[in-house]
Amino acid sequence: MSTLVRKGNLFSQPGRDGQYPILTVENLSAWYGELQALFDVGFSVNTGEVVSVIGANGAGKSTLLRSITGMMNRGKTAKIEGRIDCQGRRLDKLRTEKIVETGVTMVPEGRMLFQRMTVSENLLVGAHLPRAREMAPEKLEEIFAFFPRLSERKNQPVSQMSGGEQQMVAIGRALMSQPSVILFDELSLGLAPIIVDDIYEKVRQINQSGVTCLVIEQDMRRALDVADYVLVMLEGRIVLDGRPEELSVDAITDAYFGTHEAGGHA
Amino acid sequence: MSDLPFEEAVYWTLIDLANAFLTGTFIGGYYAILSMGLALSFGVMRLVNLAHGEFLIVGAYLSAVILQILPIPPFFVLIVVVPIMFGIGYALQRFLLNHVSVQAMERRGMSANFGLMAPILVTFGLGIFISHLLFAIFATDAMSIKNSLAFSAIRLSMDLSISTLRFIFFLVAIAMLILLQVFLRYSATGRAIRAASDNPTYAALMGIRTDHIFAIALGISLAISGVAGFMIGMTRTFQPFDGPQFILVAFGVVIIGGMNSITGSLVGGILLGIVQVLAGTYFGPSAQLVGGYMLVLAVLAFFREGLFSR
Repeated sequence: MSTLVRKGNLFSQPGRDGQYPILTVENLSAWYGELQALFDVGFSVNTGEVVSVIGANGAGKSTLLRSITGMMNRGKTAKIEGRIDCQGRRLDKLRTEKIVETGVTMVPEGRMLFQRMTVSENLLVGAHLPRAREMAPEKLEEIFAFFPRLSERKNQPVSQMSGGEQQMVAIGRALMSQPSVILFDELSLGLAPIIVDDIYEKVRQINQSGVTCLVIEQDMRRALDVADYVLVMLEGRIVLDGRPEELSVDAITDAYFGTHEAGGHA
Repeated sequence: MSDLPFEEAVYWTLIDLANAFLTGTFIGGYYAILSMGLALSFGVMRLVNLAHGEFLIVGAYLSAVILQILPIPPFFVLIVVVPIMFGIGYALQRFLLNHVSVQAMERRGMSANFGLMAPILVTFGLGIFISHLLFAIFATDAMSIKNSLAFSAIRLSMDLSISTLRFIFFLVAIAMLILLQVFLRYSATGRAIRAASDNPTYAALMGIRTDHIFAIALGISLAISGVAGFMIGMTRTFQPFDGPQFILVAFGVVIIGGMNSITGSLVGGILLGIVQVLAGTYFGPSAQLVGGYMLVLAVLAFFREGLFSR
């Protein structure tokens, strides 16, 4: 994927399945000090898809998202090499606040809400970008319609809310920036299964509204359910990828646990 | 007292108490403005600004010098002083303190404790630099801002009165407190300041440029210090090396009110003011400071985080 990539994908080369990717990652390696966490990772996400990344703890999934959102560039100890492109803009040299301007945002693991602020305030901070600020009041009403539960608690500090409600705020906050791509990091972590079902239903609806989603999940079944395409990571590498219907459960399980030498798929 | 008839003794006791509460409360407004900037920079950036006292003195000199050049009514000088102090604060945070901030140190993989130390040392050095710079320019001649209000008082009854200036400062303190709260709560920049103070990494994920936002926060902190410096100049004389005595008051106030609470600085200021005046009334002028710091110690003993800390 090369110099041909231009704004709006007009001139970009077709990627997987002959589609034009919205997000491409090439030869990405990442380090925390001496410790290498990603090895030569490459994949692409087509516009409008849900791509799931599954893998065990420490497989490098979160590091991958941190790399895409520029959080590995913030410290002196962490660094990345390789290339990340989104909608014709190169992300790997940008700072987080600039990356968000290109239309990528993240629902981080552990929600990471602004604890001293109310639900409404957290959502409004999500619309800090100039492009989102003007539409913030309308967008806020949209989010409240999407998550009626938040509407009832809009003036409550988020610290007093349940994990599921906090997850809704985190998703709503990401939507407020009017993104084209949302990265979801471990949505199900610490939540009751029935709430996770609801949350994933919302992810599906967000995707149907035209937002491309990259979902990181330890729960293999949920990741496969929601995905158009699946990447399995093990020890910092992508060891298997393909459409969920093309991959056998055995192959995924082997790749997930590293119990068998799994071959890369297409 | 014992020679007085009983009724008269009761009357004077009540007058003393009323006077202490009244004067203390109004001094509290002045104390609040002295310390609001310190509470803001600590609350937002976890910056213990040891140069805070020197910045107050810079505000005082700036006001006095401009008033010597421009023949305008004293209060109008704030129209010039506030933006200049904001600019100094913005530049200072953007080009110096952001590079040694707690957050910058954490990014470099240093422990939080070490991260706190670096800005303390830098602002300590900055304070010494500023006071010597002022000394080089103005020498040690005591300066003040001449004004007709300095000796004016509002008489409430035959035996009760309050200083007009202190009364005005009190109103200014309340106005500034309300303005600051409205700004932090309802403006996009204010919310960005609060988000960045809560979690700078994830504030960046919202598109917030934390280095710019922190610079605005120190700009506001110094703008408030500019107002405070003007008030110092209006009520007393000042010299280049007067900074430390004011930072002691400011620290006292924020310890009582809560290190990161702006509302706490008004309550802390009032409590400190009342205790100081009471101690002065009953135990003599030298007891004023001791009384104030005993309150600080008592608050530290029973409310480790201050009364209004979040």
